[in-house]
Formats: sequence, C-alpha cells, structure tokens
Amino acid sequence: MNTLETINAGIEKRYKREKRFRLYGQISIATGILFLFFLLGTTVLNGISAFQQTYIALEIVLDTDQFDTDEDGDIRPESLATANYNGIIRESLKARFPDVKKRKDKKALYSILSSGAVYDFRDTVVKNPQMIGTTQTIWLLADDEVDMYVKGKISADIPEKNRRIKDNTIAWVEQLRADKDVEKRFNSIFFSAGDSREPEQSGIRGAIMGSFYTIVVAMLLSFPIGVAAAIYLEEFAPRNRLTGLIEVNINNLAAVPSIIFGLLGLAIFINYFGLPRSIPLVGGMVLALMTLPTIIISSRAALAAVPPSIREAALGVGASQIQTVLHHTMPLALPGMLTGTIIGLARALGETAPLLVIGMVAFIVDIPGSPLEPSTALPVQVYLWADSPERAFVERTSAAIMVLLMFLVAINGLIVILRNKLERRW
Amino acid sequence: MNTATSYDKQIIENDDPMENPDFKTVGTTTVSDPAMTCRGVNVFYADKQAIFDVSIDVGKNEVLSMIGPSGCGKSTLLRCLNRMNDTIDICKVEGEIKLEGENIYEQNLDVVLLRARVGMVFQKPNPFPKSVYDNVAYGVNLHGLATDKAHLDELVEKSLTNAGLWNEVKDRLHQPGTGLSGGQQQRLCIARAIAISPEIILMDEPCSALDPIATAKIEELIDELSKQYSICIVTHSMQQAARVSQRTAYFHLGKLIEVGPTDDIFTNPVHKLTEGYITGRFG
Amino acid sequence: MTTQSEGHIFKRFDKEMQQLHALVLQMGELAADQLQQSLKTLENEDPQTAQQVIENDARLNALDIQADEEITTMIAKRQPMAKDLREIIAVSKIVAELERSGDEARKIAGLTIRFFQPEDNHPPGEEILRDIFSLSEYVAEMLILSMKAFDTLNLSIAAEVLIKGQKLDGQLDSCLRRLSTFIMQDSRNIGHFIDIVLGIRALERFGGHATNIAGHIVFIKNGTDVRHVGDSAILASIKENQS
Repeated sequence: MNTLETINAGIEKRYKREKRFRLYGQISIATGILFLFFLLGTTVLNGISAFQQTYIALEIVLDTDQFDTDEDGDIRPESLATANYNGIIRESLKARFPDVKKRKDKKALYSILSSGAVYDFRDTVVKNPQMIGTTQTIWLLADDEVDMYVKGKISADIPEKNRRIKDNTIAWVEQLRADKDVEKRFNSIFFSAGDSREPEQSGIRGAIMGSFYTIVVAMLLSFPIGVAAAIYLEEFAPRNRLTGLIEVNINNLAAVPSIIFGLLGLAIFINYFGLPRSIPLVGGMVLALMTLPTIIISSRAALAAVPPSIREAALGVGASQIQTVLHHTMPLALPGMLTGTIIGLARALGETAPLLVIGMVAFIVDIPGSPLEPSTALPVQVYLWADSPERAFVERTSAAIMVLLMFLVAINGLIVILRNKLERRW
Repeated sequence: MNTATSYDKQIIENDDPMENPDFKTVGTTTVSDPAMTCRGVNVFYADKQAIFDVSIDVGKNEVLSMIGPSGCGKSTLLRCLNRMNDTIDICKVEGEIKLEGENIYEQNLDVVLLRARVGMVFQKPNPFPKSVYDNVAYGVNLHGLATDKAHLDELVEKSLTNAGLWNEVKDRLHQPGTGLSGGQQQRLCIARAIAISPEIILMDEPCSALDPIATAKIEELIDELSKQYSICIVTHSMQQAARVSQRTAYFHLGKLIEVGPTDDIFTNPVHKLTEGYITGRFG
Repeated sequence: MTTQSEGHIFKRFDKEMQQLHALVLQMGELAADQLQQSLKTLENEDPQTAQQVIENDARLNALDIQADEEITTMIAKRQPMAKDLREIIAVSKIVAELERSGDEARKIAGLTIRFFQPEDNHPPGEEILRDIFSLSEYVAEMLILSMKAFDTLNLSIAAEVLIKGQKLDGQLDSCLRRLSTFIMQDSRNIGHFIDIVLGIRALERFGGHATNIAGHIVFIKNGTDVRHVGDSAILASIKENQS
C-alpha cells in the first residue's frame, strides 16, 4: 500500500470525526440559546404585565360643604389638604353600588381601591381647586388583588376560599367592567416610586438611584486605584518574590466569593470606622474592593498587550518612564482597561450578597438623594420582592429583573462603543 | 562561572588557535576623533555574560557597522550606548562607555539627556499611533526645543526633509503615521530621532523589515546623514554593511573579533572567523 | 555551534567555484599544449599542422568566453566576499592571461607557416631556431608551474614562477646577443631574423602571462596586489606572509 492509499483509507474517518465535532459544538450552542430563551421568556412573560396598572373610574361629587369656607364663602387653602377625602370616595363608592348594605361588605367594597388612591385624589384636588362644587369622573388606582384579577392572573374558577379576592368583589369589578369603568394604564408609579408594602404603590426608582450611587462610588474608587496599581505592577515594579506574591494574591482575590467582601466591609467600614449602615457609600466601597482585582488584572493584560516597540520608541527619543506610560502606553491600553472596568462594574451592579451584609436590604420607601442616605439596590430589590407573599409582587420581581438586564445590556453596548471609538491600531 | 566553563568547552570544540581565552581583537579599535568610546565593556544578563571585554570607538561623522551571527552581542552593545538596556532588570554593564569624554554609566548622569544626545532607530518601524506631525514633534516638545508653534513647524519640516520624507508626507502631516508604508514609517522614525539633533544615531537592523527599494532609500539616507551625525548600525546584511559604513566591526560569541575599514574587512579580512562569516562558510 | 566550516553554507557555490577552477586548469593545459604543438610543427617543418594549431586557438577563446560568463553570473548571484571575491576577480584575470598566452602560442605556429612554405627555398637553419626551442621549454614550464600553483593555491610554487620570470629577462638578452652574431656570419639570415625576434618576443610575453598568473595567485592568497611592485618585492611579501 503506498502513501496515497494509506491517506485515502483514513480520510473518510477524518472527515466524519470533523463533522461529529462540529455537531457537538452546534448542539452546545443550541442548548445555551434554549436556556437563555427560557430564562428571558419566563421573565418577560411574568413581568410584562407589571408595566400596566388597573384604574377604576368613579363619579365623585365634590360638595363645597366638605371644605372649610371663610366669610366670603371661599374655601380656605389649608382646608384643601385636610378635608375628608376618604369620606368623599366612600360616599361615591356607596352611590355607585347602592345595593351594598352590610358593614362587612362595605368594607370589602372600599378595598377595591388602593389605600394610596385617596392621596392621589387629594393631590388632584389640591392642584385643581376649581373642581370643588362640581361632579367629576376621576380614575383611581385599584387594589393589587383587583389588578391581578383584571390582568387575568387570578381566575374566578378557583374556589373562593383559595383566593384572596372574594366573589362579591369580583361581581363589583365585573359590573364596573361592563360600564367601561375599569381601565389598564401605563404603570408610571413603577418607575417613579420607592418601595412599598402595597404592590400597586411600589416602584423601583429608589433601588435604581441606590444602585446608581453605589456604582458611581465604586467606579470613582476602583478605576483610579486599579489602573494605578496595574501601571505600577506592570511598568515599574521590579520582578521579585514580593511582586510575585502580590500578583498571586490579586489573582486569588478575584475568585473570592463576594459575600466575604461584604463581611470585610461590615467589619472595617461599619464596625471600625463607624460609617452608617445601608448607605450607597459603604456599598460602593465594598463593591470597589470586589471589582479591584478584576480591574487590575484586565488593566495589566491591556498594558502587556501594548507592543514593546512603542515603549522603546518613546524611551528612545528620551521620554522618562512615567512619560512613556502616560503619553503612550496608557492611552493605548485604555480601551482594554475600560472594558475590564465596565465588565467588573457590571458584575458589581448585579451583586447582592455583599450589600445584604452591609444592610442595604432594609425596607426603604424614600428615594435616596445622595450616597449618604440609606437605600437599597436593584438586585436587592429583586430579592426583597421575590420574598414577598403578595401575588402582585411576582410580576414586579420579573419587571425589576427586566430593568436590571436592560441596564446590563446598555452597559455592554457602552463597552462596544467605547472600544470601537478608543481603539487604535499600531 | 557557568558561562566560563561553557566558553572553555567552546574553545576545545573549536580547536581554533585564534580563539583562546586571552584573545585579542584584530585591527584598530580606536579612531583619532571619537564621538563615543567603549573600553573593556562586559555585559551580563543575570549570570550569563553576553559581551566580553569589548573596546571600540565610534568616530565622528562616520558610519560604523556591527555585524556578526545572531546572539553575538552586537545589538546588546548597541543598546548599551544609550542605556536602553536599563529597562531590563537583569542586565548589568561593566567597563567604561564615554560620550564626549563623559562616562554614560555614571551614577548622576541623566538618562533622558543621554537619549536626547544618542538617538535610536529600531528594527521594526515603530511610529507612535499619532499623526506624522505629532510623531516628529513629540521629542521636540518633550525636551522643550521649540520656542513657539512656528519654530516647531520649522523643526518638523526640517527633520522630515532631512529624512527624505517631506515631499511624500507634506500633504498628510495630520494623518496617522502608522498609515505610511513600511519604508516611510522607518524614515519617519529616523526623522523623529534627528528632530532632537542627537550627536549619535544608533540603528538596530533598520532595514530588516523593509523591501529592497525602501532599504536602498534608507541606505542613501544613512549616507546623507553621516555628514552631520555619527552613526552606529547593526545589520544582518553584509552587503548593507559594506555599502553604508566606513568601518566594520565583527562580533562573535560576545567578543569583538575584528574591526577595521569596511573596504578591508570585505575584501581581505584578517581573522579566520571574520572571513568564514562574510564568505558564508559558517557551520 | 558557530564555527568555521569546510565548505560554503550554500553548497552550489562551492560546486560553481570548483567548476570555474577546473575550467581555468583546462585552459592552462590547453595553452601549454598549444605552445608545445606549435613547437612540434616548427620542429617537423609542418605548415599544415601549424594551420591546425592556429585554428585550435578558437577553442581557447570559447573557454575564455564561457569562463567570463560564469564569473559574471556568480558575482551577480552570489555576491562573493573576501577570499571568494578575490578568487573570482583573480580567476577572471587569469583567464584573460591564458587566452593571451594562447595568442602568443599561435604566433609560434605562424612562424612555421612563414618559414616552411613549400615554395620557400631558404628555411632558417636549426642553429637559428635553437633559441626558440630552449626559450619555449622554459616558458611552457612556467605556465605549467603557475597552473600547479593555482590548483593548490601554493605560494612557494608561485614564487618559483616569479623567480623564473625574473631570470627570463636575462635569457632574452643572451638570445638576442647570440642572434646578432648569426646575422653577422650570414647576412641571408636577416629576413628570418625579424621573425625570430618576434617569436622570441611572443615567448617572452607567454612567460610574462605566467608570471602575472603567479601574481594573481598571491592576490588570492594574501589579498595584496603585487602586479606593479616588481618581482623582488613580491617575493619579499610572499616570504613575509609565509613566515
């Protein structure tokens, strides 16, 4: 058998092996895509309805009697805020459903509206005092159980004792529906409110701001420190046992579980330095600690990737070492450094465990205005809501996840744009 | 110690009477008007000796070429002349290298100043990823040589003209230097080096990445530059050494074997090793 | 390790050099042969063969052209350096010397044709031709020796040729002196005399070419050009280099 025959004999086998290997690859990719679709699909299906909220229209008679008037018959401005709006709404509801007589039923009737609806109503009247003395049709926020029923998340077929919304409430809602007095509107509360015990009144704005401050603090701390450390280690530090040890430790730190950093932050920043709990400043510092190894490693890799010929060129015309780094090496490594930083921060953005440890898991209704005010963060908010028993929080959890993913996609898009813009060929 | 033994072994293997431990360089190492002098230079990489007791002068306005097989230490010696070896931690230089009578390895000597006086052109054209203009202006600005913008423009134009590049790039001064052809890039690097008016220009295989036409242009440029500057060039091309230099030094295993006028080295070398190398009889 | 090796890294270069070397030796042999053939025709009074010898010179010319072409190609392709360069340059010159040696040998064959035409009744006597024979032997040996020196690049043989070259001048003088006595004895010889002197002159040139070849061998070996410094200086430089 000559050489050619030997080759020919084996060639079919080789092709087969190649085809098989390609198939394995395709199967793995397909599996990955399937999982991703499953994850995204369930999240979107669960969460998409949270961007809408049910409102109920009520005809409300705004009698002037309800407000204090002065000698001229004008309404006193201070009484605008203190009037019994709750009573007004209840009267309107009673007028809408005159059949409801029993005290227990009345109470159920009142609760088809959200407990926050009265405040919205008050604000509307305060803003538009000319409405007083007229009869207005006003859309009011429905209760979360009603909302769930309207969105079809709760079926009327389930035995009454197994659901929180009762038959008579369903009957009222159906009646309202028949009169076209029930409507689903865009859920602006979700984006403008802080956390709340009532699902229909809760939003992610507080969490977004908390995350924003945390990440800004983390970035301001970790980027300069990480880059400076990387430059020193890569360009200046002598190669000896000490720097070798430091390098190994940095690599190990990148793999340390994030909760350890949280405990470290708790021990140092809160217990030792006495900084307040639950504030984004501390959260940012902890996340900065966690991100640092990633930034240092990626920045060093970016620096090492700059061709030595550029350094030689700069040194050759008489640039000092620091000038070489600042004028040439660092600008060329910057896209890589930024990529590493943003990847690190994106990971930090989705980080929950260390924030739990330093107390950013607290229930905080107010929207933080600075990194020094207690707040929570997006992933923590997801965690909190996922833990809540109300049916309406389920869709909000998914919606919050969607918002978080959107931010991550935006950040990754930013990386691509930055890299394309800053990257220079040499 | 390690190297010494391997070196001894080398002699035994060679069985060459010319190559014994107290070997002396053949030819005249000194010139009457030196720009730079090396005396008894030894270079070590950690415990491995790369250069053994080399003494050689670089004459004013002359082109000195250094040839030899790979790893013979010619590039190492070249890099000692402007202390580019400083960037390598394990590199240690012994002996005396003087520029205008001043030892460049003196403790208090400023390396930045030295490199302004001893320019360097590298094997691979390495323009900065900046515009043509900025490439040349960089060194000038670094050392504050230009008084104002007009002066800077003038210096850039003069350097590019002297590097024979002005006519080719005057319309694209503000386009990236990396967009030029290989030969143009190398001339840009030469322009960058001469923009700070060095006394000596070191060239480390400046044409090894270029095609023959670009090489010819660089060689012509070297010839032109030697009127103003002292040039020390390391090259693998013996023809190039023969064409551009006035003196040639042959290195072998870290030692300076022979140095002399280029005309003599390439027609009638004295040392057997030199002859073997330049005629291509090398095992 | 990097040590000097026997042959060139590029083996074909060595082969080409060997070919060129052989070509030179072939030319040398041919030139010497031409001289000997010419003498034989003179001895045998054979103008037909002499004509043959003259025509044979074309072979030497063809080899000269071939050698020149090979040399040009080698310089263009291999860019020889140092000893290789000197050898190729010297070979180029040696080839030219040999070609001219052939021309000188042809002149001796020309003498045969002039002297021994069938209608000519006054061929020169053996006495007069004796000098031609003795001188021919001398210069032929010089050429053979110089070829031997070239083959082995042996400087002492080259020195021998150079010493012989020095002695050649003296021999020439004594020849001319003897010839003039023949003219005085018999004035009929005067017609042949000019031809004989030209023949002697050709042989002197033949010897001169051999001396030059020896000089080129010194150049190959020592790298010093010894052509115009006088033979005694050459010998001195050879001795200096050998010691």
